[in-house]
Amino acid sequence: MANDKELSDFLKSAEKRAFKRTAYAVRDEDAALDIVQDSMIRLAEKYADRPVAELPLIFGRILSNATMDWFRRQKVRQAAVQNFSELGSDAEDGDFDLLESLEAVDGSWASQGPPDRLSREQTLAIIDAEVSALPARQREAFLLRYWEELDTAETALVMGCSEGSVKTHCSRAVHALAKALAAKGLKP
Amino acid sequence: MNGPTRSRRVDHDALQARFALRVASRLSEQSEKLPHDLSERLRVAREQAVARARQLRLTQPATATATATAFQVSQGSVALGQPPSGWLRLASVLPLMLLVLGLVMIQHLHDQAEIHAAAEVDAALLADDLPPEAYGDPGFVIFLKQPEQ
Repeated sequence: MANDKELSDFLKSAEKRAFKRTAYAVRDEDAALDIVQDSMIRLAEKYADRPVAELPLIFGRILSNATMDWFRRQKVRQAAVQNFSELGSDAEDGDFDLLESLEAVDGSWASQGPPDRLSREQTLAIIDAEVSALPARQREAFLLRYWEELDTAETALVMGCSEGSVKTHCSRAVHALAKALAAKGLKP
Repeated sequence: MNGPTRSRRVDHDALQARFALRVASRLSEQSEKLPHDLSERLRVAREQAVARARQLRLTQPATATATATAFQVSQGSVALGQPPSGWLRLASVLPLMLLVLGLVMIQHLHDQAEIHAAAEVDAALLADDLPPEAYGDPGFVIFLKQPEQ
């Protein structure tokens, strides 16, 4: 059972990621703040008696539901569904060598530092923009899996889909990000 | 035969995870640089949520205690100082006992009424001027059925 301090510490550790994740989805900072605040209150009212270890998963689920509710209220759910349906058109690029790109981008970050490279701020901004540009479900899976550090099963639970779908979304997200970042010059 | 394929697959997954985690760490770095007003609004939201949880935590035990006290008081008024469990059992059995007792009483009163009615008939027959044997005489029965002249 989480006490006040544990609940506060958890929310403090999660609030900025939650805000960014929601802002990526709704593309409106004020709406994202409202959704995060509502989610925090709901967590506090309904689930504060749960063990601390369960809070990330529960909060993730509440946040996802609250975001979807926001889309419903805004009557732009159709747009969201259309956005989700982009998943179906994510054709794999046969001639794009993911492995080579990953190694290149990975290597570029590891050795970042020379003044002639993109500034760190610019790099962060580019990454932020590219993550924001991902299709909604891919971005959700990617952020939950690698940013919130949920495992595949937990991510599937939060997203309400199968573990296989999570792996597919994550793989496509990584693939798309690697390609986009490489195209922006984040490679040797 | 599967060895190299599996090995390549594992390498690919590991590289993918490493890449993803590196992107995630950059996102964390970026999210730490949220504008001050956003950070403050998030802090206020967090504090409100924690205060709400604290408030609920305080009110729930109070409600539970009040309920338990009310229950004990009601039990005490029934028990009159006795342990409540025996009285509770008695209270639950009492309506059934009253029902059975009522049925027995009704049956007894019904039997008494029948006996009383039969005794009245017998007494009337015995007290009448006409002897009871007359009712067994066929001629007397025919006489009774004849219309009065």
